[in-house]
Amino acid sequence: MTVAVFLEHHEGELQKGSLGVLGKAASLGDDVVGVVLGSGVQELAARAGGFGAQKVYVADASELEAPLPQPRVDALAQLVREQGIDTVLFAASVLASDIAAGLAARLDAGLNWDLVDLAAQDGSLVGTRPALEDTVYADVGWTSDVKLALFRPGTFDPVESGGNAEVEEFTPSFEDFSTQATMVEQAHEESEGPSIEDADVIVAGGRGLGGPENFSLVEELAKALGGAVAATRAVVDAGWYPYSTQVGQTGRTVSPKLYVACGISGAIQHKVGMQGSGTVIAINKDPNAPIFEFCDLGVVGDLHEIVPKLTELVKQRKS
Amino acid sequence: MARRPRPAEYPPQFDAREFVDEPSDPPDERIEVGILIVGAGPAGLACAIRIGQLVQESPELAERLGEVPVAVLEKGKQPGSHALSGAVVNPRSLRRLFRGEKRVADMPFYGEVEAEGVYFLRRDSALRIPTPPTMKNHGNYVASLSQLTRWLAEQAEEAGATVLPETAAEKLLVKDGRVVGVRTGDKGRGRFGERLPNFEPGSDILAKVTILCEGTQGHLTGVAIDTFGLEGESPQVWALGVKEVWKVAKPLRRVVHTMGWPLRPQKRFREFGGSFIYPMGEDMLTIGMVVGLDYRDADLSVHDLLQQLKTNPFVRKMLDGGERVGWGAKTIPEGGFVALPKRLHAPGLLLCGDGAGLVNVPALKGIHYAVESGLLAADAAAGALAPGRTPWTPGALGAYDDAVRESFIWSDLKEVRNMRQAFGRGFYMGGALAGAMTASKGKFPPGDHPTELDAESPAVRTDRRRRYPVPDGKLTFDKLSSVYLSGNRTRDDAPNHIRVRTDVPEEIAVMWEQMCPAQVYEAQDGHVEITPSNCVQCGAITAKGGRLTPPEGGSGPEYTLT
Repeated sequence: MTVAVFLEHHEGELQKGSLGVLGKAASLGDDVVGVVLGSGVQELAARAGGFGAQKVYVADASELEAPLPQPRVDALAQLVREQGIDTVLFAASVLASDIAAGLAARLDAGLNWDLVDLAAQDGSLVGTRPALEDTVYADVGWTSDVKLALFRPGTFDPVESGGNAEVEEFTPSFEDFSTQATMVEQAHEESEGPSIEDADVIVAGGRGLGGPENFSLVEELAKALGGAVAATRAVVDAGWYPYSTQVGQTGRTVSPKLYVACGISGAIQHKVGMQGSGTVIAINKDPNAPIFEFCDLGVVGDLHEIVPKLTELVKQRKS
Repeated sequence: MARRPRPAEYPPQFDAREFVDEPSDPPDERIEVGILIVGAGPAGLACAIRIGQLVQESPELAERLGEVPVAVLEKGKQPGSHALSGAVVNPRSLRRLFRGEKRVADMPFYGEVEAEGVYFLRRDSALRIPTPPTMKNHGNYVASLSQLTRWLAEQAEEAGATVLPETAAEKLLVKDGRVVGVRTGDKGRGRFGERLPNFEPGSDILAKVTILCEGTQGHLTGVAIDTFGLEGESPQVWALGVKEVWKVAKPLRRVVHTMGWPLRPQKRFREFGGSFIYPMGEDMLTIGMVVGLDYRDADLSVHDLLQQLKTNPFVRKMLDGGERVGWGAKTIPEGGFVALPKRLHAPGLLLCGDGAGLVNVPALKGIHYAVESGLLAADAAAGALAPGRTPWTPGALGAYDDAVRESFIWSDLKEVRNMRQAFGRGFYMGGALAGAMTASKGKFPPGDHPTELDAESPAVRTDRRRRYPVPDGKLTFDKLSSVYLSGNRTRDDAPNHIRVRTDVPEEIAVMWEQMCPAQVYEAQDGHVEITPSNCVQCGAITAKGGRLTPPEGGSGPEYTLT
């Protein structure tokens, strides 16, 4: 069994999610190879060895410069056929999901998506897929020869193994139809600090803040902790903060090491987006708020007094 | 005494004409079907199944209806996603529909009603009272309407119907005074109506006959009643039901109804309703609270009354060691006979089921009327398409009205026509009058008693909220966790489908906040804050001064056990 992990990269950095999947695959003991596709990415490929890959296939081609799926489907399909790879794993992203779907069609391969775990059982792989709003977990397998899987973002943390990978270059050939799409423009949302899915520390604000102007309290604490800012649906709805920061059922799912909830009641719609967090600290003036039932440390009090003091203390401790 | 505001004084911006249009898609992009049914509920699916049978029997009809003889539009994620009822079902019309090809034993029922009891509750006690004759359920079956609907959808597809879920019927297509189909709603619009990357425009679906089976507060049904002047002699009124499904440690062996607490008997509060508790097999039960929306107490919340109900020792005992596994809410049309539309047809159009108000309030039944009306509508539509006839042939669709009038639907509803209104006079007086009406088979007191618009009831503030239990997450629950359990995961950036004034007096703002079981409205200083994505499309706001329009297809709750 040879497992390949698609290593997504942006702006010269391998994505944390892909490296996490790589580490997980390596821990299952099979031959694990990484695949890096792009233009000018030789150096990136070598880095994957430090996260569990024994070998990294790299394709360096101008067709692969823009983050478009079809040329990558060509490259991966070729690799699967030529190198005896039977499993390709992806950390879900917009690009990876597109590629995985295309590859599944191309190779007539089964694709399990939204997996949150992977195990080897009696020589075959078994994935874990949540269902019914994460209330049950189903074991899923594959009946196809080639097996594809997309893992939910943020499921695995990268594990630094300190190893070295052999880097092997290959030259994909592209189908005519695969190079028809060109990228016209790439826009980046301006944001300071890490994105909330990647952040180790998140400071989140809810309606208890009292008004959009008070989000500065949350921002300052996040800055002091080196973390990202998140928000609840209620405040995003009210227009206090952008939708891209919304955590919850209809927003993002995050799993930082530390989640500081300021003025958040902890309705289930919010909880399902952050219940995978390591340590949850809640500051709320309502002692009956549901968040106190699932936080690790609860502070009943006025966040307008507590948060600035906390920010001050963190700054002192750091300096 | 201070003037008490009424919700009707703050009408939303809504004009039925916004939702009537001529076909606008280029001719080659229009979708043509034989008979178009709006709403995959018991009425619509029974109608589709019956048409399937008629098409089998008649090659002429099959040819006349074309490639897609029957299409059923459903706004929910799947048939049953928006279906909610008690429900104790009278199986007579289902038997008639399936003509012995399917038996009651093949239908997804939780068994026949074995025993029943009606109780008068006080806060800490329950007194068994004789079962009123209208409420006897011998020979009836307990069901989850959501499950029954899913099963009916399978039967309809087997019978040749095309069921289109996640499709909202937004506009009535009318040409030369005749209904020629509907336009479905757009998908993928943003909060301000802008087109998102996944934007998909709606389509014109054209049909020879359009049959509206939208259920309670049907959007196009309302539009059609306005457009064709079909209002009945009295306005339609509604009740709001909120229910939960529980996994329980010990089976409930009977059907239970309660009256009294936590509702108040005084005439000035106008609180008409009660609860139902039905067994669902060996390990589940369903418990619900229903209250007429003509109530006046701005602080009344049916969801919280249900939570309060569960703290009564008699009720609580049934739930001991159990776990809540489902929740949902829906309105019930309660106007009955006097509020029925003047006619159940218009050119090219038929109205069925709850949408037409075919509900028997004292018997707490409507599902079999929905099935029966769907069946009769199918017969009438097929009759209007018999060789040599068209739906425009005089009397062709009118045959449906005649059939309904000759059916048990009509005689049942006529007999109990004044009972609901009697309870506007308080619980005890209402009870006495209802008894007289039953004894005289509806002859006494004589005449028809009018209903009054729910939104005309003035709003008064009381201290009732202090008595609602603080949710403990085990026996009693808040609204938001309940919305979550309904399966609702509507995206937050969808356009607001709720037409409601936000600049209303505090009493009205509080009334909406408390009334809504899904926490859509919040009364804030001087205005109402709205969270449309919480909406479970129960329809209460339309009864009480607002107007729901169809949200994006596929949004809203995803009921499975209700």
